[in-house]
Amino acid sequence: MISKRVYVAWFGIHFFLITAVCFAGLFSLIAEGATILPSALDTYAHKAELLAAWLLGKQAPAASPVRRSIATYLHAAGIQSGYTFFAPNIPGYYKLTLELYYQDGRVEYESPQVSGQAARLRINSLLNRLADARYEPLREVVVKMIALSVWRERPDVKRIRATFGSVSPPSMGDFEHGKAESFQPMFSYDFSLREEEKTE
Amino acid sequence: MSYGRPSSVPDPSIVNDPHLKAHAVMALLRRRWREFLEFLFPPETDRWLAVFRIGMGLQVLGYTLFLRSDWHHLFATAGKGLVGRELGEAIASFDSPLIPKLGWLVAIGQHVGLGEETVLSIAWACLLCFGCCLLLGLFCRLAAIIAWFLHLCAAESGGLLAYGADNFMTMALFYLMLSPLPDQYSLDCRLFQAKPMDQKLLGFWRRVLQIHLCFVYFFGGLAKFLGSGWWDGSNLWRSLIRPPFNLISPDILVRFKYALPILGISICLIEIGYPVFIWMKKTRFLWLVCISAMHAAIGLMMGMYLFALVMIVLNLASFGVGIGLPFIRRPAAGTRHPRGLFSSSNSPP
Repeated sequence: MISKRVYVAWFGIHFFLITAVCFAGLFSLIAEGATILPSALDTYAHKAELLAAWLLGKQAPAASPVRRSIATYLHAAGIQSGYTFFAPNIPGYYKLTLELYYQDGRVEYESPQVSGQAARLRINSLLNRLADARYEPLREVVVKMIALSVWRERPDVKRIRATFGSVSPPSMGDFEHGKAESFQPMFSYDFSLREEEKTE
Repeated sequence: MSYGRPSSVPDPSIVNDPHLKAHAVMALLRRRWREFLEFLFPPETDRWLAVFRIGMGLQVLGYTLFLRSDWHHLFATAGKGLVGRELGEAIASFDSPLIPKLGWLVAIGQHVGLGEETVLSIAWACLLCFGCCLLLGLFCRLAAIIAWFLHLCAAESGGLLAYGADNFMTMALFYLMLSPLPDQYSLDCRLFQAKPMDQKLLGFWRRVLQIHLCFVYFFGGLAKFLGSGWWDGSNLWRSLIRPPFNLISPDILVRFKYALPILGISICLIEIGYPVFIWMKKTRFLWLVCISAMHAAIGLMMGMYLFALVMIVLNLASFGVGIGLPFIRRPAAGTRHPRGLFSSSNSPP
């Protein structure tokens, strides 16, 4: 057996990183003002989040070997993100609707299609990320890829309008009174085979 | 005539002696260190490892089979797949270019004349094959390493599409790959007459798993406690009516509207109390049943089967194996173990 000290050292480093990742996730929620804690704590939480990020090497330059080593280890061990699933609150969900305009004037409505439930969960994950401000630079590219995947299956489509938005489900009380969910568009893109026109 | 001081009262000159003080502190630190090592390396059998290996074998099989029809669609490059693998890989590479990706395998395949589709199919088949190996206990270590690597590649390449179950699966396979395989219930042990593993090393890896789960539930529970929606049940309602988790009709949920706040608070309590009550012998069984029931309910009511399975496997392997059932007396318990700072009630089987 390798010396116990080696195991203990690994244990210490490993759980130090897990603790930093968990606190970074928690402080991030507080800093966003998403919790029931007083808003006066937001600034402190933001500073604490930065401290946790510094401990994880995220403040170092992108090419820093320390940052890269830590990131590689975190991803390899599956500990790169915290455990704040479904917390602190569950917001509405997001929807991507594709309006397909055919050459003969028909219009059809589609959403990103996969066949299994396991893959549907992944699409949900993707849509949640698209709504996140940090993924803003990727939005158009991702939506374009999804539109392209629909196009491959329907080559006679002339134009695709992709509309992304948030859906606010009714509260239980509203549901009992017959109120349905409401859709709030966030952005939309028009794609045609030859030209791409963005409208936001 | 002096009778001196009673022996229980130390001589002030001795108490103030810096050498003796340092000696006492060192002795205390040495004792704490010993207790910590005893806590970290308890002797264990490999039954928990067998449960862990078989559970992760099932998990890998479930992962590959559930994604069989969407595998190429999710992981092909742009123009062939849904979003294109390159985006996920670029994001992973920004963190570190050393993070494994499916693109590496595709590049190797191209060197030997294999197309992207073929390489992806081979990766899927290998994952399925090594999932079977884990289940049977054949070439355990190699199977765990390859399953971990292939799953990591898929999770990172499909980073935009990844969700919680992927992180837990990577984490579990990472620990499985490092654990002292093979266990005595594996085919490896029967075929190759492998020597039994160091019991303290088996205990160490189980402890790592146990402590990690405590982190998972404590931070998960704490974050939920900080959201108002878990106190009034609205978060449960919202999570159960949103696609793709809406397997139960809202009309049925409305009938249980008074139960939702109780369930919401119970989930928070079960999670945040996990690091305390799972270690106590009297409450361990109850907590394990509650947490497993919670994951089973998440799996069945929200369709998160893989997430539910990996969490139940992790819980059973770390705290379930060797657990004493309540109301069932064990034969002669033997001597009691001394309890130190780091000793736990999790006595070895």
